[in-house]
Amino acid sequence: MPDELVFMMGNFAARFPTDRRYTLNHMWLSAEGDSLRFGLSAYAIRLLREIYFLEWSVDARATVRQKDEIGAVESSKAVAALYAPADGTITRFNAEALADPSVVNKDGYGAGWLFEMNGNASDTMEPAQYLRYLETSWTKAQALLKGQAAQ
Amino acid sequence: MSLLTAIISRSPSQDPRKRELEEQILDALTREPDVTTVTMPHLYDLAEADAVLRSATGPLLVLAWLYPRAIHWTLDRLGIKGQCGEMQLHRADSAEENPKGSASAPNVPARTIWSLDLRDGDDASLHIAEIQRILRNLRASNLTAIPTPSANPKSEIRDQKSEISHRWYPIIDFGRCNNCMECIDFCLFGVYGVDDNAHIVVESPDNCKPGCPACSRVCPENAILFPMHRSPAIAGAPGAGPDARKLDLSELFGAPAAAQLATDERNAALAGAGKETKPKDDLDKLMDALDDAKL
Repeated sequence: MPDELVFMMGNFAARFPTDRRYTLNHMWLSAEGDSLRFGLSAYAIRLLREIYFLEWSVDARATVRQKDEIGAVESSKAVAALYAPADGTITRFNAEALADPSVVNKDGYGAGWLFEMNGNASDTMEPAQYLRYLETSWTKAQALLKGQAAQ
Repeated sequence: MSLLTAIISRSPSQDPRKRELEEQILDALTREPDVTTVTMPHLYDLAEADAVLRSATGPLLVLAWLYPRAIHWTLDRLGIKGQCGEMQLHRADSAEENPKGSASAPNVPARTIWSLDLRDGDDASLHIAEIQRILRNLRASNLTAIPTPSANPKSEIRDQKSEISHRWYPIIDFGRCNNCMECIDFCLFGVYGVDDNAHIVVESPDNCKPGCPACSRVCPENAILFPMHRSPAIAGAPGAGPDARKLDLSELFGAPAAAQLATDERNAALAGAGKETKPKDDLDKLMDALDDAKL
């Protein structure tokens, strides 16, 4: 299996390492000790562009349910709320990304991780599945972008 | 006749800190020689404008625990209309924006209404400074307009302490509404109606289901406010709603689509519609007070 898969967002090649899994709300996850570490996928980061603001609306140690709103990001182009990718307990947030969210753009699969949680991440996808999911998501994203841009 | 009528709309909560702020501002206002000061219950809870509000036809300053946009359009609903006065005091986290009046709407008198959000600062001196700035400007412009000063300048306080119950209903921002009728189509409770000129109106406000803000979410212009909703965008925060300059990608990251959320809320309100709301007991009141205290 190659080290990464590529999804073309127009002329932009979004890359997805195959050493981890992905969620429906465009996060990646990988095991980190006893916890799961989450970050934004290259697809999410490309849609946002330069992220300059990141905040969490829940505390570390908070128990969350999948789809609970847990924070927000603001970028040069967009704002977005962030939602829990799974049921569980947040164990820690990445202080470095909180202090300077640009690390998410620079190294989204490494130092730019977002948070770790303990929980049961059942709704996750293999990289190849995620790419198939992106085909449909990309159409929806373009419709949303065009719809809002037209306002 | 006084130069300015100042209305302090009391907080719907019994929070002593809010009372204290109101009293400090009231005290400062009574020392202004040409200001008539009136306190009244929470503006949004009023069923109709009382005689004092109706008789104040000159410049009006309204201080309330609401966003300025919510104050302005709640007054408009009560038939108290005027041009939006410019405010310079804004809470730190809000974009600076004064509510936009319905410039094109007929029957809006030339008098100015200033709407001041008492949540903009815990320190009464900030509000008092802003009031004094408005008064300075008014006095300066009045020197030429009315050469003789008022014969008997004195401050007046009329306090009204009637017990009124809390309400929940939409307020339309007619500076934004384009009469598209999405709200009347969406609401299942008969809250909306049209007037003789085929303009949308909130016809039966008390048909609205407490807590349900669904029509606000379906409004394409973000012209429907629920001033007591916890979400700033729905409560009338400055510049709230779909930000004109930025895309909102929340939906792609897992947010329920606004239309879905609105439908869910409306259906939840519909499911609960048969249940009578019981009067608040002491525990409810205590919980309200705790909520208001923002501990």
